[in-house]
Amino acid sequence: MSTKVAESTTSVGNASPEKVPTLLSRLLGNQQFLLLIAFIVLVAFFTTRNSVFLSNGEFANIFADFASLILLGVAETYVIATGGIDLSVGATSGFAGVVAAFAMRSMHGSEAVVLIVGFLVCIAIGALVGVVNGVLMNYAGLVPFVATLVTLGAAGGMSIVLTGGAPIGNDPNAIATTVSIIGPFSWPVLVVIAITIISGLYLHASRFGKYTFSIGSNEFASRAAGINVKSHLMKVYVLSGVLSGITGMFFYLRLGSGAPTSGAGAELSAIAAVVIGGAQLSGGSARLSGTTLGALILTTVTSGLIIMNVQPNWNQVAVAILIAIAAGFQTLRPSKRKK
Amino acid sequence: MAHFDETPLYEARNIGKSYGSVIALSDVSLKIHAGEVIGLVGDNGAGKSTLVKILSGVYQPDKGQLLVDGVEHSWKSPHDAMEAGVETLYQDSGLAPDLSIGSNVFLGRERMRPGILGKLGFLDQKFMEVEARKDLEKVGITIPASKRNVSQLSGGQRQAVAIGRAVAWARKVILLDEPTNHLGARQSNEVLGVIKAAKERGLGVVFISHTLPHVLQVTDRIVVLRLGRVVKDAPTSEFNAESLLGTITGLSGSRVEEDETEAIA
Ligand SMILES: Nc1ncnc2c1ncn2[C@@H]1O[C@H](COP(=O)(O)OP(=O)(O)OP(=O)(O)O)[C@@H](O)[C@H]1O
Ligand SMILES: [Mg+2]
Repeated sequence: MSTKVAESTTSVGNASPEKVPTLLSRLLGNQQFLLLIAFIVLVAFFTTRNSVFLSNGEFANIFADFASLILLGVAETYVIATGGIDLSVGATSGFAGVVAAFAMRSMHGSEAVVLIVGFLVCIAIGALVGVVNGVLMNYAGLVPFVATLVTLGAAGGMSIVLTGGAPIGNDPNAIATTVSIIGPFSWPVLVVIAITIISGLYLHASRFGKYTFSIGSNEFASRAAGINVKSHLMKVYVLSGVLSGITGMFFYLRLGSGAPTSGAGAELSAIAAVVIGGAQLSGGSARLSGTTLGALILTTVTSGLIIMNVQPNWNQVAVAILIAIAAGFQTLRPSKRKK
Repeated sequence: MAHFDETPLYEARNIGKSYGSVIALSDVSLKIHAGEVIGLVGDNGAGKSTLVKILSGVYQPDKGQLLVDGVEHSWKSPHDAMEAGVETLYQDSGLAPDLSIGSNVFLGRERMRPGILGKLGFLDQKFMEVEARKDLEKVGITIPASKRNVSQLSGGQRQAVAIGRAVAWARKVILLDEPTNHLGARQSNEVLGVIKAAKERGLGVVFISHTLPHVLQVTDRIVVLRLGRVVKDAPTSEFNAESLLGTITGLSGSRVEEDETEAIA
């Protein structure tokens, strides 16, 4: 009997024969590829405007900017893949940097030990904010937007209250440790790149990543398949907090102090990088390579405009235009999904 | 035919469930024996899907007991019911459209890579795509390519994947909530074939459908729900199209109803 059924359902499957797409149409339908082209065009454009752009020093700057953005972009990619949003990443990074700066200021030890403690404090603070986000969603029933708006306000406000608005600590030695080691890459930039690659592997090839996407794609189906949705979401928001905390330490290393406002507004750039990278804000579909290219494009444009002596306020307009273009591409492309 | 003096594979006793002020189920009992197909019928809103979700662990009942092989169980999550060998096809889509067919078939039961990579949490995606294809073929469903996302399938193809997943994993009982939804006449008949095959494998099957001829054709026993209560639980041989419809609507014997029956049959 099974053969009879098999035969006829086969014909269901074959009802829409698969077209073999040409290489060109495949590439043009691939957002990653288009982003890569856009990135190369932007670099070429800014270089023709001012040859300083392709210099080592400027690349070091771009990578440092990129590094302060990409971990928040990674955090936001995971969260958005679940169909959520984390508005607290920027404020959390500033808050973590401030608390870590207090801890490091009170220490007397070798610079390496002090910085390691700083990292651990940042990770702990970030994880704490993530837990609070998870509890507000899982137990108080808040939607992600509201829960993370609460922690955005709380973390941002506490940073100001604790510091009185002024940066904490004065640690030129910390900055000095970040001299470049391989070409334009300082050690923090290399650490950030390593974290980004590992996060990408986990998002796209591990069980953790699979559940992240399945929850964003259909929460009921995920629960019905035996996945503990609440516990998974808690882990994702804690991961987001930890990455924000590490970003806070990165800010500290660039400034030599913990500034309460250092992450303010960074969540918007991070979300912009994810959107430019082609993720669906409704969840279920995102690519970390896309977010990475999105962050690279954002930082390239920002640096390029500075080099061209464009007034900094135009920056936000440029970012807005990039988001609009990326969103336009998503609606123009033949839709791969219907929900 | 099942031996009804045997301990049922799965039994629900005196189940009650309310959503706030809406009483969805009251005092509902059901026995599922090995190799038996139970038809669960009733009007829209009668409580069929609610009962399925209680049996599958999505909801906890307010009252009553669930017994597997005569032993009382309470499911904290669908995972527990799946562990006990109970598989479910949900009326509202139980698939994640952005995931591939293979990922959906293995959702919640992923195969990890061998060795250290598996310990680190990495998936053996290739194994799952190949195995999913085989699993679905085993129950008579052939799919274009298991790497494809479910969102790229037609409604009927999705339904076929969901049925195939449930049948492939079931070890005791399979709950099918309107499996012929979205399906054409021929595909519906194939689903009936799948149900008969599951019965021959010794599984207990709960089949929910509004298509009464299908129910009469494939079931051994029919349980009729009306407004959250069991109004009749009897062998299928005791029903015909007319009396079944009368039991569902509660308007037995009227002239109007006979006309309706004819229209449906
Ligand atoms: N999540 C929910 N919240 C509140 N009420 C619900 C919920 N799900 C179902 N109900 C109510 O419970 C009752 C039973 O619904 P249920 O879905 O079990 O019916 P059904 O027999 O499956 O109907 P159908 O044939 O239309 O699928 C209905 O009155 C319905 O409105
Ligand atoms: Mg229903």
